[in-house]
Amino acid sequence: MPEGIFCNKTPINTDEQLKATLNDKGGKQYYEEMNQLDVDSDKLWGAIRKTMKSRTRTWLEICAHCGLCAESCFLYQVNGRVPEQVPSYKIQSTLGVMVKKKGKVDNAFMQMCMETAWSKCTCCNRCGMYCPHGIDMGIMFSYLRGLLYSQGFVPWELKIGSGMHRVYRAQMDVTTEDWVETCEWMAEENEDEWPGLEIPVDKEDADIMYTCNAREPKHYPEDIAEAAILFHVAGENWTVPSEGWEQTSLSMFAGDWECCKDNVLNVYSAIERLRPKRAIGTECGHAHRATVIEGPYWAGREDGQTPVPYIHYVEWLAEALRTGKLKIDPAKRIKEPVTLQDSCNYVRNQGLKDVTREIISYIVEPGCFVEMAPNKEHNYCCGGGGGFNGIGLYREQRNMALRKKMEQILDTGCKLVIAPCHNCWDAIRDLEEEYEIGIRWSFLKPLVIGMLDVPEHLLPKDE
Amino acid sequence: MFKKILLATSGAPSTFGAARVAFDMARRYGAEVLVLNVMGVPTKAFSHIVNDVRTGEEIEVDDEYRAWVEEELKTTFEKQFEIVEYSQIKLTTGVPSREILRCARDEDADLIVMGASSGDSSVYRKGYPGSTLQKVAKAARCPVMTVHRETASYWGGFSNILFATDFSKQAENAFRFALKSAQEIGCDLTLLHALDISGKVLDQNEIEDQIIAARDRIRTTYVPLMGDFKDYDIEVWEGVPFVEIVKMAREKSADMIVMAHHSRELNPEKARIGSTMEQVILRAGCPVVSVSKPDKV
Repeated sequence: MPEGIFCNKTPINTDEQLKATLNDKGGKQYYEEMNQLDVDSDKLWGAIRKTMKSRTRTWLEICAHCGLCAESCFLYQVNGRVPEQVPSYKIQSTLGVMVKKKGKVDNAFMQMCMETAWSKCTCCNRCGMYCPHGIDMGIMFSYLRGLLYSQGFVPWELKIGSGMHRVYRAQMDVTTEDWVETCEWMAEENEDEWPGLEIPVDKEDADIMYTCNAREPKHYPEDIAEAAILFHVAGENWTVPSEGWEQTSLSMFAGDWECCKDNVLNVYSAIERLRPKRAIGTECGHAHRATVIEGPYWAGREDGQTPVPYIHYVEWLAEALRTGKLKIDPAKRIKEPVTLQDSCNYVRNQGLKDVTREIISYIVEPGCFVEMAPNKEHNYCCGGGGGFNGIGLYREQRNMALRKKMEQILDTGCKLVIAPCHNCWDAIRDLEEEYEIGIRWSFLKPLVIGMLDVPEHLLPKDE
Repeated sequence: MFKKILLATSGAPSTFGAARVAFDMARRYGAEVLVLNVMGVPTKAFSHIVNDVRTGEEIEVDDEYRAWVEEELKTTFEKQFEIVEYSQIKLTTGVPSREILRCARDEDADLIVMGASSGDSSVYRKGYPGSTLQKVAKAARCPVMTVHRETASYWGGFSNILFATDFSKQAENAFRFALKSAQEIGCDLTLLHALDISGKVLDQNEIEDQIIAARDRIRTTYVPLMGDFKDYDIEVWEGVPFVEIVKMAREKSADMIVMAHHSRELNPEKARIGSTMEQVILRAGCPVVSVSKPDKV
């Protein structure tokens, strides 16, 4: 049973393995090894029998092949409406066949499944809303990804991504020391402009525990500073945990279930240790899905709830603006046409569509907000969801996928796109880089800070 | 006063002047030069694929690529590396301004030296406003020296420092740096206030009164801080501040201009035109040091 050095059925568990795999440029050797990788049919069938629940079995059986899901899929729309892009076809020809054959499938089939699961579905779950039976192909593809991961058929970057979570408990190589140090740094960097600004680490019994995305300490620590400034101005009693601060889950995109559970337990144990009244996550979609929506089930929490109420950043921001904790200077509101990207992971998957629009009502001059069409729970994926953004092998397919969002944005006529989700933000940035349509894009935090009406006592004294 | 000089360079010709000044200072004052190269700006979400800061091309950073970049830097600055006793190369990826600040903090650098903008590279922006220099100058704890239009004057070391003040709190930090440099290097110091009369039609008597007042203010604000140091001049010139500062630098054959940076505005549209410091950097024929914080002066 040949297993490659990089491409194999064993997850990455050490820093050495991580570095070695990263140094295999573009996954060249990795994908070559994948051609030789055997399928352990017994193990695969065993996994299916053990983990495939009645819902998935039913869905696979009751699908009428009616094709009503076709038009719901943006990948079908942008790829010439070929039958191979119809969601029901995509799942029946992969997971459906795998189950029918009781796991007795070959390498070529598994590679076809990998390509389908990671380049023809972003797990945006839009098809589930349009299927007359309510069959959600996105959920089934997440499941298929898990089966593929366990057999070693996973894109190189996602093997590394889940390896990062296993080694660093973060999607990037940010250690606890790096994280705490970054918090100190950001407080220091902004204390002149915001006297008294603090980023309290491991404060017990605070009102809020804040968690974020490892990209922030790694590359964009301004984001952490901005969160701190807004909590500071709002007068919140808040903290960040030294451990369990990373809320994202590339392991979810990779299908590394064991690691998914570990990620979320790590965050929950921080909650249990610090006993905050509630937890708030950054402007990230999949992090919210992983930690708040799916996480409780991964962690085996029977009530399906997080240990304390765990809300998305947009929920806190809307509340702070609604209750007057944060005040907007009307003169500084956005006065140009602006549109909003609805993140699948907390809009379609959790229904936070009105909250973001409430924020818009405070920060945008009346008449300037332009909805995309369709929008809210019917909005299309940014084009880079579910790990698509990060996979080099499927770059061309991803760039094609961005076209739907490009058309939607162009139709609004707006030059500014608010994207309160890291993944959407990235996809829209890449969209601009690829197609140069002349747009700007932003998270909410920097926009709101720029238009705050800051109470006198919080301003620097001597100027 | 300079133990560690952080030279931030893309390796492009626009930073050669900065490199010469940094290495020359290090040799003269026995400092260590840390050559920092931010190889690329991360793109494609969490992957380690970056856009090369010079070419904008997509590259994958691995050990081989790192080794190649290091070799390139060593070749580019070969002569400079030879003249200093202590130097090291640091390579990283990220947003350049952020990584320069991170490195300065980690290494406790005493001075950051960098070239001025080599153009409007969209690679640097990535959705965040402001130039690399603006962001570094705003947040750095140590003075930031920018070398844009270098002349050869500094080959003989620094002999004339021009300190331009707007009497702000940050200007006091800048003054301390200018004074300390002048004392330690043993050179002349000019204290200048450029009286801003741009766009105003003022009575000549009023202008002259303001000039007298500004001279008095320099005398009362800064002279008591100078102790035994006598090699200074006080000047107040009226006009458009950046023009007057550049003219004074020429008049005095200044080889270093020291100013405070305290623009909060990072929006390039608003800040770039209004910023006296940016204009001085672009026009002056000598290195310009921007001081914001009191920590390292």
